[in-house]
Amino acid sequence: MIQAGKIFFVLTVCLLVNLLFSSFNKQDAHPVNFKMPFKQAGFTERQAAAHLIDRFTFGNSPGYLDEVIKSGLENWFLQQLEGKQNDADLNKRLSGYDALQMSNTQVLTKFPRTATIVKEAVAEGIISKDSLKENGKKEYREAVKAYMEQKGYKPQQELFRQFVSQKILSAAYSNNQLHQVLTEFWFNHFNVSISKNQCAPYIPAYERDVIRPNVAGKFGTLLLATAQSPAMLFYLDNFSSSGENSDFKQRQEKLQQRLEKKASQANDEDPSGDKAKLMEKLSTNKKNQGLNENYAREIMELHTLGVDGGYSQQDVTNAAKVLTGWTVYPMANGPASAVKKMIERFGEDNLAAKGFVHDGDFFFAINRHDNGAKTVLGKPFAAGGGYQDGLDLINLLAHHAATAKFICKKLAVKFVSDNPPASLTDKMAATFLANNGDIKEVLKTMVAAPEFWTKDAIAQKTKSPLELAISSVRALDATVNMPFLMYQWVSKMGQKLYYYQAPTGFPDKGQYWINTGALLNRMNFGLAFASQKIPGVEFNLAAINNNHEPESAIDALKTYSKIILPERDVDATIKRLTALVNDPSIQQKIDEAAGKATSNSDQNHVAMGGNQDADEIMLDQKNGRILTEDKLARKNLGKRTKAGNEMMPSAAGNNSMLAQVVGIIIGSPEFQKR
Amino acid sequence: MSSRKAFLQKAGLALFSIGVGGVPAFLATAAGSDKITRPYKKKKILVFIFQRGAMDGLMAVTPFTDSFLKAARPTLFMDAAKASAGKSLIDLDGRFGLHPSMGAFESLFREKRLAIAHGMGSPNNTRSHFDAQDYMESGTPFSKGTASGWLNRAIGLMGHDGTPFRAVSITAALPRSFYGDNETMAISNLQDFAIQLKGNPMGANAAAKSFEELYDQTTTSLLSKTGKESFEAIKMLQKTDVKNYRPATGVIYPASPLGNSLKQIAQMIKMDVGLEVAFAESGGWDTHFNQGTENGIFARNVADLSNSIAAFWKDIEPMQDDITLMTSTEFGRTVKQNGTGGTDHGRASCAFILGNDVNGGSVLGDIKPLSIENLADGRDLAVTTDFRSIFSEVANAHLHINDNKILFPEWSGGKAGVMK
Repeated sequence: MIQAGKIFFVLTVCLLVNLLFSSFNKQDAHPVNFKMPFKQAGFTERQAAAHLIDRFTFGNSPGYLDEVIKSGLENWFLQQLEGKQNDADLNKRLSGYDALQMSNTQVLTKFPRTATIVKEAVAEGIISKDSLKENGKKEYREAVKAYMEQKGYKPQQELFRQFVSQKILSAAYSNNQLHQVLTEFWFNHFNVSISKNQCAPYIPAYERDVIRPNVAGKFGTLLLATAQSPAMLFYLDNFSSSGENSDFKQRQEKLQQRLEKKASQANDEDPSGDKAKLMEKLSTNKKNQGLNENYAREIMELHTLGVDGGYSQQDVTNAAKVLTGWTVYPMANGPASAVKKMIERFGEDNLAAKGFVHDGDFFFAINRHDNGAKTVLGKPFAAGGGYQDGLDLINLLAHHAATAKFICKKLAVKFVSDNPPASLTDKMAATFLANNGDIKEVLKTMVAAPEFWTKDAIAQKTKSPLELAISSVRALDATVNMPFLMYQWVSKMGQKLYYYQAPTGFPDKGQYWINTGALLNRMNFGLAFASQKIPGVEFNLAAINNNHEPESAIDALKTYSKIILPERDVDATIKRLTALVNDPSIQQKIDEAAGKATSNSDQNHVAMGGNQDADEIMLDQKNGRILTEDKLARKNLGKRTKAGNEMMPSAAGNNSMLAQVVGIIIGSPEFQKR
Repeated sequence: MSSRKAFLQKAGLALFSIGVGGVPAFLATAAGSDKITRPYKKKKILVFIFQRGAMDGLMAVTPFTDSFLKAARPTLFMDAAKASAGKSLIDLDGRFGLHPSMGAFESLFREKRLAIAHGMGSPNNTRSHFDAQDYMESGTPFSKGTASGWLNRAIGLMGHDGTPFRAVSITAALPRSFYGDNETMAISNLQDFAIQLKGNPMGANAAAKSFEELYDQTTTSLLSKTGKESFEAIKMLQKTDVKNYRPATGVIYPASPLGNSLKQIAQMIKMDVGLEVAFAESGGWDTHFNQGTENGIFARNVADLSNSIAAFWKDIEPMQDDITLMTSTEFGRTVKQNGTGGTDHGRASCAFILGNDVNGGSVLGDIKPLSIENLADGRDLAVTTDFRSIFSEVANAHLHINDNKILFPEWSGGKAGVMK
């Protein structure tokens, strides 16, 4: 009765929404009529452009605001939704990273797990089994290293180094900024974590093939793509889930009986004897069967309906049953599995005829699927539905009213404020339901709403550490030669990207990002970045001010506040700092200290190269490559310091003053907001 | 509430007092003269050490009279009998023996301050490090989506405000146990808690002054409140020479990550900065290969663990009544040794709980003879003590937290008996 009521309600909402928005839909056909009501709210065009840049990009860069105005605000937004701007510059920067285009299979082949490598080396007789006991010894490590070189294998850390570097570069330099922002948003929504070894190698392809192409498409398409991805199947364990009413289970039970019978006949108590072996087989057998509800629970709680979305534990269990058999297609060099053996034995064509489904890295193993009848959220799934049942379930979840509400609220929290008004999220949810979960339409509804354009919404969101770091790069038109070091700063400020352990993803609220330790690191980041003490970061502060050098600290403060924080009210900041900057004794001391520091190249060298924090962050991943990069940074800095000091501008006094001022602006409260 | 305000007022005296690597005289005057009196009531402190990688509890605390264990571990089994070659186990009670490298624990055990909870583990039988750690740290062994960690919930349940140093993890990133709405901090090195600019300390000083002014005046309350606290926290730390910390006489911390973490925790305790929950990690427990016996990887690990903890305990001697230290690990290891001189992923392990209010001096838990019938899945030491029955008991008794429904939802077990 309740369920029927719910369905009726959904239908009614859909109908109403269609009626209400039919005129709006007409406008969609003519993008010219798509309007943002910023003037009505008292925004000037420049203020409105600055607000859009704050919300839908990783930050303004010199001249960008003018470009946005030139293309027209509405037009700019529509272009950003499309995400088809030329990204040749970014692609050039990414061209040196050879792992970024690899398929999952290629990744596993090129970056196998250490355990896989060792096993292979033992099988080939390169490493003797006995030497495994010498695991910690230098000779052993060198033997493994030599074997890897001979085979062309690389350590997995290299894969992740390339992957996180890609993140920094894409966010900073893509012309499709909104798609980059949405990529981060959806990845975090459908979070998977490198900290779980089993799913780690599939994560680069997950972001590239599952998230990126779908960030501004239909929500249902995105949801299904995540559901069938190896990263998610491993992260939330659905790959191993099998049903009670399945062939697999029956087979396992027979095996179980046989093993138990044998075990009861064997009566030796020797722990390394036959009986123990049988008991172990039994335990492995038990482990290989059974329902795993983890994914079914999180797809409802975190990915679609939300925790208050009106589902019961029974719905979770039944959804898990519907999704039994959804697993990963065995890959070359991937872990051995029962599925692999089965495919080898029966052949794919025979399996397809029986209802098995192979689609890329996804595999539906009908023999593990629960064939019984189930009901989820009031929708009956008749017995024997197979693969189609899973598709229907995901479709049901993707278009549910609770999902519309939950997703639209999350988008509004991301783009409007930590507590968006219900009047706004209601409009967005209505669009979501009326347009088959079209993310573009939802975002258009959002920016066309007066709630988006309230003056007190300006700079109401706290930047995440990634947003802070990338907006700094963009604000100064900086070149980032060693993006991994930027990644380490982002981690240090509290956002170790791709390693967040829980499926919730990072919380999207100011209070999470701002605590005493993190805030200090933000200020320190500002200072280190502006004085180009993050190895590989280069920029020319004079260039972004038309090669005009400010005449005094106050002049620098005024000029660069306006460049870095366009259209923000920076008068208070300037006023507060004026007294401090004018204190001659302090200014003199800074100049003296900076002069000393630059003239003494050795001292500088040590101070900059000793990247202790960076080392600590990667402590768990001792890896030649990273250390090499660090060493490289040291070496380069040494060279630069000697060769006329490109990175530290020559007129130490004045320029270090300018760097200092810019560092303070980046570390200031105003720049922490967007 | 009042304590928080008091903290802010007390420390909120002076702008101008931030120094880096030695406070310059012209900036330090104000701060130096400002003697900090304790602005809040003294609190109990819980130090939690997570042993990542799954410690072999059967080697740390061995039921040495068990013939099944001896048979299952032909080269890994050690005995307590003094006559045997090499070092022998430290006989605790005629049945259990401490690993010979854990000598530092013996006196604490005999003094009845150290309890050992054996057969400790999670009801979820996953043998994945990631999943088991995740479940143990979230405190919900059957639910992945729990957003918060159990220590974060514990902080919320204390019922009073704290300082920025209330919950500190000596790690580079926030541990899962600390996830959640209550303010916590991850810092790998206390010395980093300052405004810094490498190669230009004077510039950092001037910048610090500017930042303090800007955050003090900003209208965004989150930023101004946290900004104030950050600078107050820096000042608190500057009351002592963080860099050249000298432990109590005769105390030597192992030069290991854990030793270093515990040293910093001791520092914070002595500085009286308001620490209530501290988190540290110990690694290297995943001993699939060449685990060793009286020497080797495992021996080094337990030596580091016990020596670090014993050094810490001695270092904070005057405050021992206020402190309880507890270890945990995600699961134990197979009863049987494997083909490469190590042990594989198992089920139960053991936990160490140290404090003056601990029911110490005995090996707690229900350890049956390790015959196949008594083993979990026919291979592992069975979990007879749910980790939550230990964690909750320590939190109840030591931190005076009473709402176990919030601390560990979906659980209603009893006490493990580790506290007096």
